[in-house]
Amino acid sequence: MAELVQYLITGIAVGMVYALIALGFALIWKSSSVANLALGQLVLLSSWFTYGMLVQARFPLWLSFPLVILFAMFLGWTIERVALRPLIAQPILSLITVTLGIAYFIEGLVSFIWPWSVDALPRLFPTEPIHIGTAVVSQEYIWVVGISLVVFGLLSLFFRYHKMGIAMRATADDQLAVQACGIPVTTIFSRSWMFACIVAAIGGILISSIGGITYGLVETGLKAFSVVILGGLDSFLGCIIAGPIIGLCESLGGGFLTPFLWAGVKDIIPFVIIIIVMVIKPYGLFGEVRIERI
Amino acid sequence: MSLPCGTRDYTYDTDMAILRTKTQWGLFIGLLVFLFTLPLYLGNYWLGVANLIGITLIAATGLNILTGYCGQLSIGHAGFIAVGAYTSAILTNRLGLPFLAGLVCAGLTAGVIGLIFGIPSVRVKGFYLAITTIAAQFIIIWVINHWSALTGGFVGIKVPYASIGGFAFISEGSQFYLIMTITVLCTLLAKNLARTRVGRAFIAIRDNDLAAEVMGISLFYYKLLAFFIGCFLAGIAGSLLAHWVGFMNAEHFRLTESILYVGMIIIGGLGTTLGPILGVIFIRLLQQILTVQVGPFLESTFTALPSGFATGIAPMLFGLVIVLFLIFEPRGFAHRWTLFKAAYRLWPFSY
Repeated sequence: MAELVQYLITGIAVGMVYALIALGFALIWKSSSVANLALGQLVLLSSWFTYGMLVQARFPLWLSFPLVILFAMFLGWTIERVALRPLIAQPILSLITVTLGIAYFIEGLVSFIWPWSVDALPRLFPTEPIHIGTAVVSQEYIWVVGISLVVFGLLSLFFRYHKMGIAMRATADDQLAVQACGIPVTTIFSRSWMFACIVAAIGGILISSIGGITYGLVETGLKAFSVVILGGLDSFLGCIIAGPIIGLCESLGGGFLTPFLWAGVKDIIPFVIIIIVMVIKPYGLFGEVRIERI
Repeated sequence: MSLPCGTRDYTYDTDMAILRTKTQWGLFIGLLVFLFTLPLYLGNYWLGVANLIGITLIAATGLNILTGYCGQLSIGHAGFIAVGAYTSAILTNRLGLPFLAGLVCAGLTAGVIGLIFGIPSVRVKGFYLAITTIAAQFIIIWVINHWSALTGGFVGIKVPYASIGGFAFISEGSQFYLIMTITVLCTLLAKNLARTRVGRAFIAIRDNDLAAEVMGISLFYYKLLAFFIGCFLAGIAGSLLAHWVGFMNAEHFRLTESILYVGMIIIGGLGTTLGPILGVIFIRLLQQILTVQVGPFLESTFTALPSGFATGIAPMLFGLVIVLFLIFEPRGFAHRWTLFKAAYRLWPFSY
């Protein structure tokens, strides 16, 4: 029982982080139909940048957090401007591969600047455990869930009421109509990349303040794809619902299946889910089924 | 194919031939002679590089059939190579089967695993397929790392040298002949495959799979066939890699390696026979020069460089090269080569 509560809470917390990262993917996919496979590397780079601000430059938290957000915005803007803008209206193969190239580049950049490849972020949240019944749960996970919910709330408010948010939703709906209304579509693309990088950075900070910064963050980013796939590529709601599902599957499966299977079964569950969803319901729970015409 | 003026064909056979003029025959034979006398000019180190290029070329040819001709993007190619490598390693090391049996079984096993992960391709394409193949890569590597009773797990597995009929391929030179023979055969296979009914079906599926299906091309059959052929070649390459290195663990087959394979065929030129050859040679040479020669040299000369310079500079450059090629020359080196040939033929009167 105590174990179960523990698994539930860690699962939901990790799932929320996956959902955050996946949201970044869905943003870009919806506005510009670019499949960003460099998610994991974006998470990795922004975590290391946070490390650089907090530990290496010894900036206080109130200063380094805005700097990380600024950095993420800059990163998103640069990627869109340099690599994606020249490829507008190219076949999807090129669009996917260009993000792979970016992924490769970022990985090199990270091992260029931080060659020791494993380190810990200072703990951002209080670590005393809290007791729920007989279960002992680290307080950090509750904080992670809370912060993710706040970010989701802010983003959905932004998309609902802010002019830019409405413009971004409109772009996702119909690019031609938006252009006809005089909304600069390329600006929207660039904004959506900035947003994606910001949520990736927040997700990265949340997860690496618990688990430390390792190469495994790339895998975390890739696991977020299972959220995208399960929820449906073009659905924000799908991300928020599928995230905790994936997190729960991962932590419950890891907790209860490990005795029967090999150790480390946890790491593979999201990928198995991808394959299963692909075979059964390729467009996910909430994704729009595309009807193609010749 | 554009030909020099004055070349006429009087039978269908000559019209269909790959090599049609005396010059082409001469160049082809010259190339083969050069290739198979290469051990005479190269030292052991560069022969090793040539072997690596040959092995990579087989795998890249497979990926080119799958991605370049049939349009099914696979980012798990290193995983399929790993399947081949481990099949061959297990069969020859644990069961003591001869090398040739291991080679064929490696290809078949990788092909079948490729078929399994290729099944979603019948319903989905593009990004969905890319994600499926990434998942395939992770699942394969995870199984290899954890099924330690069979694969040796994280520790790895020793692989005996390749041997055919009592002759063991131990020196780099002898392995070079083995690898190059198979590479040449695979390249010819790919070249000919593209000209058959199957190859034309692949191209039709790549260009528009719905239109292809309406025309009566069975998507199920041809997409899975592409996966089988692509992964079969990956398995062959894996088997050769295992017997060449002599020791296998999953570190050889990281996701970045898969990305590099996609990069190679894009840099070379998708959907051409020449493309993978140029791309593989370019990337592997760049890799050797950067990580083995220039990187350490710069690091020891300029001590002010950050300590991650040698390990970080290569992936950064590869990523940059992939991005730049996609932006400025998406059709790769092969297209440039065609342009050059045309310009050379017509010079000085380009019309």
